[in-house]
Amino acid sequence: MSITTSSELQIFESFKEGNETAFTYFYDKYFRRIQAFSIQFIYDKEEAENLAQEAFLHLWQNRETVESINGIQSFLYTYAKSRCLNFIRHNKVKDRFKNDVLNHKERELDIEILNSVQFDTLELTELERIINDSINDLPPKTREVFIKKRFENKKNAEIAEEMQVTLKAVEAHMTKALKILKTKLSDYLFLIFILICNN
Amino acid sequence: MISEIISKYLSNEASEQEVAQLFEWIDASEENKKHFITLKKTWALSGISDAISADPITVVSLQAKNKVGKYFKYAAVFLMLFGLGKLAFDFASKTNSSKEIILELANGNSELIAKNSPTQIINDKGELIAKKFPNQIIYFGKVQDEEVLYNTLKVPYGKRFKLTLSDGTIVSLNSGTTFRYPEQFGINGKRNVYLTGEAFFEVAKDKEHPFVVNANQVDIEVLGTKFNVSAYPENPTVNSTLVEGSIQMSEVENKQNVVLLQPNQMATWQTNAKKITTKEVDPVFYAAWTKGELAFKDTPFSTIAKMIQRTYDVEIVNENSNLAKQNFTGTIKISEASVENILELLKRDTPFNYSIKQKTITISNLPN
Repeated sequence: MSITTSSELQIFESFKEGNETAFTYFYDKYFRRIQAFSIQFIYDKEEAENLAQEAFLHLWQNRETVESINGIQSFLYTYAKSRCLNFIRHNKVKDRFKNDVLNHKERELDIEILNSVQFDTLELTELERIINDSINDLPPKTREVFIKKRFENKKNAEIAEEMQVTLKAVEAHMTKALKILKTKLSDYLFLIFILICNN
Repeated sequence: MISEIISKYLSNEASEQEVAQLFEWIDASEENKKHFITLKKTWALSGISDAISADPITVVSLQAKNKVGKYFKYAAVFLMLFGLGKLAFDFASKTNSSKEIILELANGNSELIAKNSPTQIINDKGELIAKKFPNQIIYFGKVQDEEVLYNTLKVPYGKRFKLTLSDGTIVSLNSGTTFRYPEQFGINGKRNVYLTGEAFFEVAKDKEHPFVVNANQVDIEVLGTKFNVSAYPENPTVNSTLVEGSIQMSEVENKQNVVLLQPNQMATWQTNAKKITTKEVDPVFYAAWTKGELAFKDTPFSTIAKMIQRTYDVEIVNENSNLAKQNFTGTIKISEASVENILELLKRDTPFNYSIKQKTITISNLPN
């Protein structure tokens, strides 16, 4: 996924020159991911979709400032991040819990998480590589569950039905996948964390 | 234990209680917090989307005894279920004999809402009062208080209907419902309507004229909000649930007997005891029908059977005692699932036999 092909470089050049087909290529490639990222912080599918649309509009208008193909991703994520932060700070996130303390706490944590990620090109591509490798290293069943979550956007109950396993088993696989990913990624992310704090 | 909760939280499938537990754990140490942040960051960046982004409800997804978390869109939803009343019995006997939606006008005439082209309703003065569509009627205008005329709309089992009242309030009517409302609201006073069955209200804001749903022996008064009222005759209680805003339930005969509802609370009027009690609930499941869904949350089969009877206009006779004791959780998209689909699904959890004769479904034990 992080491999840049020569044809992709050509598409990037066309995109810089204002070719709409080339733009569509990147749109198709990243739209879902930007939306999915935003949903994690604003908890509203439609708002997240709007936000992702805005990000792409913004990208199109500023395409000349994007210097490399990886810069597209970092541009989109950076935009999404700042919009999510605005969204939270302006109290536009709907309450998800009855208990207001929880709503407040969640927003605080989300702000902290958003602030801790710097979407520079290097970080994103490196992170993507590590995540992909880590997913590939998961035990087969666990990987299947994780991928159904990640790429097919399914609920635990649906996955349970498809794989003919209990809901508990699906939950267990997800827990396992996250544990493994955490171990593999935490060192790396911790390093980033320190870098950011030192900046 | 905690990693399970984190996993659920990230999948958007954790209960509020679990979330509270998780946040407590996060607060317990910097280390915990760091772990959590790492995980959520990974999760968000790896492009995993959660339940919110999933497409609406699968055709049929049902599992026994597990909860289904769902995001609830309504700005404010208020729900009530209520029961037994003379009017209700009267209504039940009538709906059994007719399967068309019937509009009874103030002058005593009644007409069927058939699948014809849109028509306009004009009053004596030649003013436009309403537009009629096959699935909806929209009313317009206001009148002097003494000129308020009431219409009654009857929606039989197996059908649903939508009304826009003259103040702009939108009312969705569920199967097996009788709703009485002014053709045009008066200039002064409260906006009174009468319900037996189930309806979802999106009340137009108007502080000067409180909106009052009269149901059984209680009134539910609001100023402007969205709420669901379910008032089926087979239930011996009146239940009202509120998601946002505020609503007041009071006994008609004794206005001192009153409860002010908080969001996510359900008030229950007990017809026999003449008491109103409240408890905390998850209101998502009570208004799913407005989106064309049947939703259960740890719901006993007997209740599910009643919902199926109304929605599909069938009769269910259950002779299987195991099934009668079983509770189910899940969501069904009405337009895409037949009664057989639902029964087949339930069968997977709790095996049983069934036979369908015309509109009667008989459920029996498996042969030994």
